[in-house]
Amino acid sequence: MSTPQSRIRNFSIIAHIDHGKSTLADRILDITGAVTEREQKAQFLDKMDIERERGITIKAQNVRLKYQAKDGEIYQLNLIDTPGHVDFNYEVSRSLSACEGAVLVVDSTQGVEAQTLANVYLAIDTGLEVIPVLNKVDLPSSDVDKTKEQIEQAIGLDCSTAISCSGKTGVGVPDILQQIVEKIPAPHGNPDGPLRALIFDSWYDSYRGAMVMVRVFDGTIKRGDKIRFMATKTDYEVIELGSFQPFPVALDEIGPGEVGFVAANVKSVHDTNVGDTVTHTLESRRATQALPGYKEVKPTVFAGIFPTDSSDYPALRDALEKLHMNDAAFSFEPDSSEALGFGYRCGFLGLLHMEIIQERLEREFNLDLITTAPSVVYHVWTTAQEMVIVDNPAKLPPPQLVDRIEEPFVKMSIHVPAEYVGAVIALCQDKRGLQTGMQYASTDRVIISYELPFGEVLFDFHDKLKSVSRGYASMDYEFSGYKAGNLAKVDMLVNGDPLDALSIIVHKDRAYARGRALAEKLKEFVPQQQYEVAIQAAIGGKIIARETVRALRKDVTAKCYGGDISRKRKLLEKQKEGKKRMKQVGNVEIPQQAFLAILKVDA
Amino acid sequence: MASLYVHFPWCLAKCPYCDFVSYAVSGDGRETIDHAGYADAVLRELTVRSGDAEFGRARIATIFFGGGTPSLWSAVELGRVLAGIRAAFDVDADAEITVECNPTSLDKEHALRLRDVGVNRLSVGVQALDDKELAYLGRLHDEKGALAVLSSVVDIPGLRVSGDLIFGLPDQTAETAQSHARRLADIGLSHMSCYELTIEPGTRFGELAKRGRLPRADDARVIESFLAIDELLTSRGLRHYEISNYARPGQEARHNLGYWRGEPYVGVGTAAYGFLRAPNDDAQGAHGFRYRNEPLPAKYMQHTPLSATGAEAEPLDAETMLRERIMLGLRMADGMNVTAAEKDLGVTFMTKERTKDLAWLLEKGRVVRVDEGGDVLLSIPKESWLFANDTAARLF
Repeated sequence: MSTPQSRIRNFSIIAHIDHGKSTLADRILDITGAVTEREQKAQFLDKMDIERERGITIKAQNVRLKYQAKDGEIYQLNLIDTPGHVDFNYEVSRSLSACEGAVLVVDSTQGVEAQTLANVYLAIDTGLEVIPVLNKVDLPSSDVDKTKEQIEQAIGLDCSTAISCSGKTGVGVPDILQQIVEKIPAPHGNPDGPLRALIFDSWYDSYRGAMVMVRVFDGTIKRGDKIRFMATKTDYEVIELGSFQPFPVALDEIGPGEVGFVAANVKSVHDTNVGDTVTHTLESRRATQALPGYKEVKPTVFAGIFPTDSSDYPALRDALEKLHMNDAAFSFEPDSSEALGFGYRCGFLGLLHMEIIQERLEREFNLDLITTAPSVVYHVWTTAQEMVIVDNPAKLPPPQLVDRIEEPFVKMSIHVPAEYVGAVIALCQDKRGLQTGMQYASTDRVIISYELPFGEVLFDFHDKLKSVSRGYASMDYEFSGYKAGNLAKVDMLVNGDPLDALSIIVHKDRAYARGRALAEKLKEFVPQQQYEVAIQAAIGGKIIARETVRALRKDVTAKCYGGDISRKRKLLEKQKEGKKRMKQVGNVEIPQQAFLAILKVDA
Repeated sequence: MASLYVHFPWCLAKCPYCDFVSYAVSGDGRETIDHAGYADAVLRELTVRSGDAEFGRARIATIFFGGGTPSLWSAVELGRVLAGIRAAFDVDADAEITVECNPTSLDKEHALRLRDVGVNRLSVGVQALDDKELAYLGRLHDEKGALAVLSSVVDIPGLRVSGDLIFGLPDQTAETAQSHARRLADIGLSHMSCYELTIEPGTRFGELAKRGRLPRADDARVIESFLAIDELLTSRGLRHYEISNYARPGQEARHNLGYWRGEPYVGVGTAAYGFLRAPNDDAQGAHGFRYRNEPLPAKYMQHTPLSATGAEAEPLDAETMLRERIMLGLRMADGMNVTAAEKDLGVTFMTKERTKDLAWLLEKGRVVRVDEGGDVLLSIPKESWLFANDTAARLF
């Protein structure tokens, strides 16, 4: 039996990283008795190790709770967890669509951050009731009044009934639950209409196949039902239904307004698109209109991933396939590089997503990898006026065939204390940005809006932003479109042979500086060889920078007798180890670290 | 075949480039050394070592007294040790028996005394024939003294004489380096070791270099010196038979050839290294062991023949021993016999990786392969000796 809609509340928690979302969620589970003390491993909802380490929720986790409100009724509260990073913006929007309300958690020692704002606006646009909560009031640096003022000014939310709480001590948490029941509207789907359920998360289970998390809007989904995913137009039979409480509990049905998981023998997460609508297969029971907001998620950042040891190539493929099964947003296809041999070109939602995948590959699959510099996706127009999509600088058509290159831009919003505004603007200008707005969130906090080339954002924008604002600035962006730019491909050559993995596409004004800096950096990494090595940066056939690694004249041990043998053998063993980690490019041996040099160039 | 090394850990002064275990004695110093006591300790160790199953069976073809400065040792005590070696081991009648000497602790009388107790080869640490260079190297002798000593010993019947030179000093020209070699050849030495000055960690030079305060010779000039010496000595009929060694045919240092061919050696005395083959049924899979004796003379003398004398032992598996053969064998003009090494160690040289690396080296002319009577011989041609480390490392 499903719960009547009047006694269901679906909500998310919106918070900036570190503002205490996971701790607060733990406390809620704790108070509603969902998790016994033994199970209370800190931050229960963050499942994966990496998430725990970075304090970032990557895959939304969702819990159904029972709460007895002051009116004496037992309510079903569905906590729908949202990922907290800009890379996963679309997932956030789908999770929010599954709710009627959101709890906005603001760290009362920190104030509102850009990312919080972005998600709050997303929630408000989605039509959610937002309940402001001031967290960490147990800390001495907490400033509740100032934070309330900020929320009212920046977001325009009434904070007269805002709750002061501490996820750590539990103070104020029962008030949050009470307000959820009182303020957040009950779902009001049509129980008798054709089934419409929103997929807002999916993952791969090795026994059940791809599983989806759904929020039912209209109708009811029952075990044994024949269902259809409307976007992919694929049909399945429901094998298992359930909800996380927080441990999985099997259900016979999920009714209107309810949230739960569905197992339907779906082979791959690539068939379970977040944002898709589930309905019944039978034509008479089928919805004609899908729920709004669906879009296909496409990777925006690409990088080559190569095994350090070429014999690891099959292992890398297996690992990528496994990760891919669980992460629909991540793509990969075979790639080969003159310099790095065989590997894969992988697509990610953003830099964080890329780092996470890379880390999982190295940690969970024990692979030693070289990741090339991330690239955005360029639209390259040939002289024949055909558009070629290029996500790998090495694949850029020759300059004489290129008419123009368009690069992606983002709308960036940066939230920063007033004193750093000058520095942030200088940074954005330097990154070829176009200022589109500036707004005071409070007397001393400013929101700066910029249009920026995404490629520049990828390069080192976040690090620079943090450094010019002493860590106080936060950023958020969304894609705004493509614009033609004065771009050029810079190739790195070693004794005339191109190091394809190091090619970059940059703005022409920067090409010289970047090329020079890259050549200098490479020189630091390339060891002396038996001949002179020329390291050059070139645009087309034109050399724009050159560095020389002088020839090594000798490499010989003068003396080796009985007492020296072990020590000298060990020195050569080390030398051999070093050689193993080198890639042969033409006649030149290049150590793996050199390929990372590009990420560390400051120009 | 095996050899035996005796370490004598005292010198009149510690040279700033030397990383062998040696202790400077005070004053003239010869009296402060416990000549007999040290000989007794070495003799006690010999008893232990010859009791070792593997060593006990070994036939000793060469004996080398190194140091330190073993020419400081009284010939009587050194002779007593030699007699002890002959008693404990099966020593070839024509064994090569060398004593390392410094010009300051060698004269004709001492050389004759050494010859009379059985020594048949002297290796004299000349290092340079220029007083400024000798001072830089911290040597106690001068040019005149060195030449006088060599002239007085070079013609003693029954004694072969070798001289050491160090080249590649800062400001040393190739002409100077070559002239030192010429003058030693003129004296009539049948064997010479010419080493590039190497800065080792833990030496005075090493410390200075670490602090950036040691001027170094330019690589190009060091190479010129190496080639100039080679040219001169070769023209004088001394064959460049190892990276740093020259000899008239038949006058090679057989003791050192043993090291480079991977043959076992018994090491006795303070800080001595020894290398023995493990019995074939060794449970840990080790094919050999290299041990090192206690490096402090007082402790060594006190504890010998307790087991503490074998302070450190490194087990060596067959692959490691093969790598050593590669590293050492390729130092010699004659190179290494790959087939013999494979048979001896029970390993395969031509692994997939090594075959690939070897092909590359052969193609570049860095290694030469000769197939002789079913055996594969590899050697580095002389013009590629300057990259011997890189070559060996590639084949590791």
